[in-house]
Amino acid sequence: MRNFEDDPTLSDLLDPDQLQRLSNGLSALCREPVMISEARSGDAVPVEFNLETVGWLGGGASAGEREAAAELVSFLMLFVAKYRLAANIHHDTTEASYAELQRQNEALRASEAKYRELSDQLQQKVDEQVAVIRQAQQELYESARLRSVGHLAAGVAHEINNPVGFISSNLRVARDYVQNLEPLLAETAENRELLEDFNDLLSESIEGTDRIARIVADLKTFSSIDQADNALCDLNSLLRSACHLVQTEYDHRLNITENLAELPRIPGHPSRLSQTLFNLLDNAAQAVGDDGRILVRTLADNTSIQVIIQDNGCGIPEAVRSQVFDAFFTTRPVGSGTGLGLTVARDTVRAHSGQLTLDSQEGAGTRVVLTLPVKQGS
Amino acid sequence: MPDFSPEDNKLALKVVFYGPALSGKTTNLMQLHSLLNPERKGELMVLETRDDRTLFFDMLPIGLRSRSGLDLRLKLYTVPGQVQHDSTRKAVLSRADGVVFVADSQVAQQDNNAIAFGNLEENLDKVGLDIDTLPMVVQFNKRDLPAVVDEAELQARWAGTPWAPLAMASALQGTGVIETFQALLDRLYTGIDAEFDLVGKHGIDRATFIGRLSASHGVGDA
Repeated sequence: MRNFEDDPTLSDLLDPDQLQRLSNGLSALCREPVMISEARSGDAVPVEFNLETVGWLGGGASAGEREAAAELVSFLMLFVAKYRLAANIHHDTTEASYAELQRQNEALRASEAKYRELSDQLQQKVDEQVAVIRQAQQELYESARLRSVGHLAAGVAHEINNPVGFISSNLRVARDYVQNLEPLLAETAENRELLEDFNDLLSESIEGTDRIARIVADLKTFSSIDQADNALCDLNSLLRSACHLVQTEYDHRLNITENLAELPRIPGHPSRLSQTLFNLLDNAAQAVGDDGRILVRTLADNTSIQVIIQDNGCGIPEAVRSQVFDAFFTTRPVGSGTGLGLTVARDTVRAHSGQLTLDSQEGAGTRVVLTLPVKQGS
Repeated sequence: MPDFSPEDNKLALKVVFYGPALSGKTTNLMQLHSLLNPERKGELMVLETRDDRTLFFDMLPIGLRSRSGLDLRLKLYTVPGQVQHDSTRKAVLSRADGVVFVADSQVAQQDNNAIAFGNLEENLDKVGLDIDTLPMVVQFNKRDLPAVVDEAELQARWAGTPWAPLAMASALQGTGVIETFQALLDRLYTGIDAEFDLVGKHGIDRATFIGRLSASHGVGDA
């Protein structure tokens, strides 16, 4: 591109018609016709503009005439060139300003795009936060419900404990009395049968009261009503209680094998951990149906405790495996599952700085590994 | 940057008179036009003005021809000083080989000088030139006015810069204008000679360069 300051040529300054008209005018003034052209010819004299020879003026009657005509052309050139230079620089600056505007426009557009992206990200974050809040609310609701159920269970357990206690001790005393009565009765077959039957009735009743006592104890452990929110937890005992409760739910039809190692007590939230273990066992129980097996194992090393709950049930189809931790995701019929079991379990484990991993194969079973850290000094 | 066309053996240099509005850039150029009598001097082209203020630029071409046939041209430009003509200033400044910064000596104008100097630095940067290496002379004009900053104070203030000593001038009276121009030619020569070997190839030494381009009426040095 030419710069505004480049020295103009004759054809930059005047078009051929204008040049012709100028030559004609000058020719009319001179005694002989003159010619202005860019090429040098014969006796032509230079037409100078800004120290630059822009053309040659030939013809005319004498050197003096040529000089005078060339001088006149130079004089005219000055004004033509002035206009040309002004126009050129105006053009240059306008182009530069336009380019600058375009650059600014581009920058503006880029920054607008950036802000739009930021706004989208913000919206996404807001949505995520809303989801988190909603889930936290649900969990809060669940845990409040759990707590009230726990309170109720603990209250009922406490009320039942006393009568069960004296029924149990009375039954034992009664059984002793029956033994005492034995030598006093006539030795007949009828009496012996009666006594044996009586003894059995009392023994069964004692067994029944023991079971009631155990259930009551499990309920109390499960609801952890007599424990603080944060306490040192014995995971094995929480696990045993949860197993009993699940058995109770399934009429003791489950085949649960417990293989529990010695575990250090870890600080935690007993009722939430109980709920978590119960949820995992309940899932396993639902997966195995009536004739499967559930294996419950605990392991410990210096840094962590592992609880492994394994079943040989139906497993989790691959298509839904990525969703099982999502809140409200459930494969069970409406009304029978909240879709929160694993969600609550995972959140509880995270709250204890632990990990919950799930390993499943459709038709072969599921293995859930719950890892909790053993904290220093605990 | 110097524009050398080997086919014409022509070397064109560009000097720009920069500075705040109304500091006397055009007056400098008009004085050079009437005072100088170099070998070759073109017409002073004063482009459009409004109320005596430059709208586009002014231009004065001068030149010399060496014995070797080198056609050396110097085009002297002024820029419009008013703030709103910044894009024109930038266009004129591009490819400059030297700058004369014409400052206003009046006490009240010192802020404007500083702003214009900052603008020069910024625009040089935009057109790819470096103010620290570009040959430049700083002239404090209007020394004839009453309320001007003391010369000693100005010289002291600029002493640590590459542009010391300052040139003092009263362009309207015609004093200091040629001296300023000669100081610039002196600084300009160093770089041009290094690049084009003026003394070796064309027999133009520093004194010839300055003397022949700034010859004034009566004391012409051919």
